Amino acid sequence: MASTRDRISNGFVSFLWALAGIAIIGLMWELTKLIGTIIDLPFNTSNQAMPHIWTMFSAFSLPEVRGSDTTVFQAVLAASTYSLTLALGGFVIGVSVGLLLAIIMQRFLFFERGLLPFVIASQTVPLIALAPLIVGIGNQISFGPIQWSTTYSVMFIAAYLAFFPLSVGALRGLQAPSSTSLELMRSYAATNNKVLWKLRFPASIPYLVPALKVSAAAAVVGTVVAEISTGVRGGIGRLMVEYARETTSQPAKVYVAVFGAILLGLVVAAAITAVDVLLTRNLPKKGLA
Amino acid sequence: MTTTFDTGSALAISNVSKVFNKGNENEVIALSDVNLNVHTGEFISLIGPSGCGKSTLLRVIGDLTGFDSGSVQVSGKSPEDARKERLYGIAFQQAALFDWRTVSKNIELPLELAGWDKSQREVRSAELLEMVQLSEFGNHRPWELSGGMQQRVAIARSLAVDPPLLLMDEPFGALDEMTRERMQNELLRIRLDTGKTIVFVTHSIPEAVYLSDRVVVMSPRPGRITAEINVDLGERTETTRESDHFFHCVTSVREALRLHDTSGTSTSSFRGEV
Ligand SMILES: Nc1ncnc2c1ncn2[C@@H]1O[C@H](COP(=O)(O)OP(=O)(O)OP(=O)(O)O)[C@@H](O)[C@H]1O
Ligand SMILES: [Mg+2]
Repeated sequence: MASTRDRISNGFVSFLWALAGIAIIGLMWELTKLIGTIIDLPFNTSNQAMPHIWTMFSAFSLPEVRGSDTTVFQAVLAASTYSLTLALGGFVIGVSVGLLLAIIMQRFLFFERGLLPFVIASQTVPLIALAPLIVGIGNQISFGPIQWSTTYSVMFIAAYLAFFPLSVGALRGLQAPSSTSLELMRSYAATNNKVLWKLRFPASIPYLVPALKVSAAAAVVGTVVAEISTGVRGGIGRLMVEYARETTSQPAKVYVAVFGAILLGLVVAAAITAVDVLLTRNLPKKGLA
Repeated sequence: MTTTFDTGSALAISNVSKVFNKGNENEVIALSDVNLNVHTGEFISLIGPSGCGKSTLLRVIGDLTGFDSGSVQVSGKSPEDARKERLYGIAFQQAALFDWRTVSKNIELPLELAGWDKSQREVRSAELLEMVQLSEFGNHRPWELSGGMQQRVAIARSLAVDPPLLLMDEPFGALDEMTRERMQNELLRIRLDTGKTIVFVTHSIPEAVYLSDRVVVMSPRPGRITAEINVDLGERTETTRESDHFFHCVTSVREALRLHDTSGTSTSSFRGEV
């Protein structure tokens, strides 16, 4: 259908805009450095503190550690992939839990009253306080031969951040159908489950898609932060900490890790856009998303 | 009025009252002691000023809302049983088609919920699309259709399971005059083809007269039936709307409405005129 094609080309245009945005940020970075050589800026613009863009790119091909045959780029890519799997795990768990909560809250007014305050309060607990707690509790858990691993803690934290935007968005979406639509379903003698499946759920899509976007971003940020605060190795968060320690010798290296984190974000955003196009292909374009 | 049910009765409403927000300051007597009998195949219109309880009465019949006292029988059954047995179809002022379904799939929704299998559903929706003259639009999306076309889809959908009773709440209220008259003729044709019993809510006196066998006039605060006017126009033709008899019926309905207009101070003077 033509509209799907429009959306894909729209997506392409946004992608170009994103690239242009990145280019502009790069230009401003270099411009700032240039101004810093002429006048005194209140912050350090030396190559040590703000490496040139091209130094950052050349750092891609540096060896990971002295003498190793993997490059920094390969290491960052591997770490990004690892973090992506953790973020994805957290996202899936978070979305499932968020959706389930939304359905329960929609179905039973009692639960909306009772649960929603806790859902909201859950997000006011600072991650810094939460992470050690989860790791601490997690380490005491074991199901027979299966031992809790700190990677589960990372996923748990990602899920913890991801479920919230989704459950709130989904609840709004499930409550979106007009009373006329609901009365129609009642006149067809539809069961609650049928109403959920044939009306509430499809009607919630325009609310669900933006919620998914926010949840995905939250899962990524949650993963990176959780990796740092739990000390899990192998992901981009840990890599950033390691490379940041090398700023004196290799100031550009940490920025490669930052690029890795950006890449992670872009991959997730692209995936969600694909889901968006898929889910809303049959809806009028004036949708909320 | 007896409460016994004879086979010709599509709808028997006796002494029905309905109060919203009972006991608090927003209390509204939406229906007060309403009595109405509709026999099978009859077309009746409910007319009256805004807030007189037309929609509420329709919702009571369709078991979309409850009532406080009295009794309602739809084809001899309680409204709840009638709804669960899918004995009525309903259409509202908003077509309320589902954007994520094609036109055909919208019409098939009640059939899906009634457990029809796919091939039966497709045959039936094609049949109904033909009835409302939208055969070419089955695969379109609802938002690609004009308001009048959407309303025709909504009517087709209300007829899907072939229920004996059709409840319509201002289905043509949002349409322009030309489209509206065309839709009225179409509804009459469908009625002739299917023999449905129809309860039709409207704000338009000519519409009520043109469509109905009987116009039921309601008045607000408290919502009640104040007059019933039999319309005996016979077969509707192009000249029906211009006939003296049509005007006579329109005048009767108008006067019945005016008689119970409690909204102004002029009630008594109107009464004087009549
Ligand atoms: N859900 C509700 N809660 C409280 N009051 C209601 C509710 N529905 C209707 N009412 C009240 O009941 C009365 C009758 O309403 P109803 O919708 O049946 O009027 P109506 O004749 O259909 O009006 P209109 O011509 O404007 O559609 C009104 O006073 C309205 O405010
Ligand atoms: Mg109404």
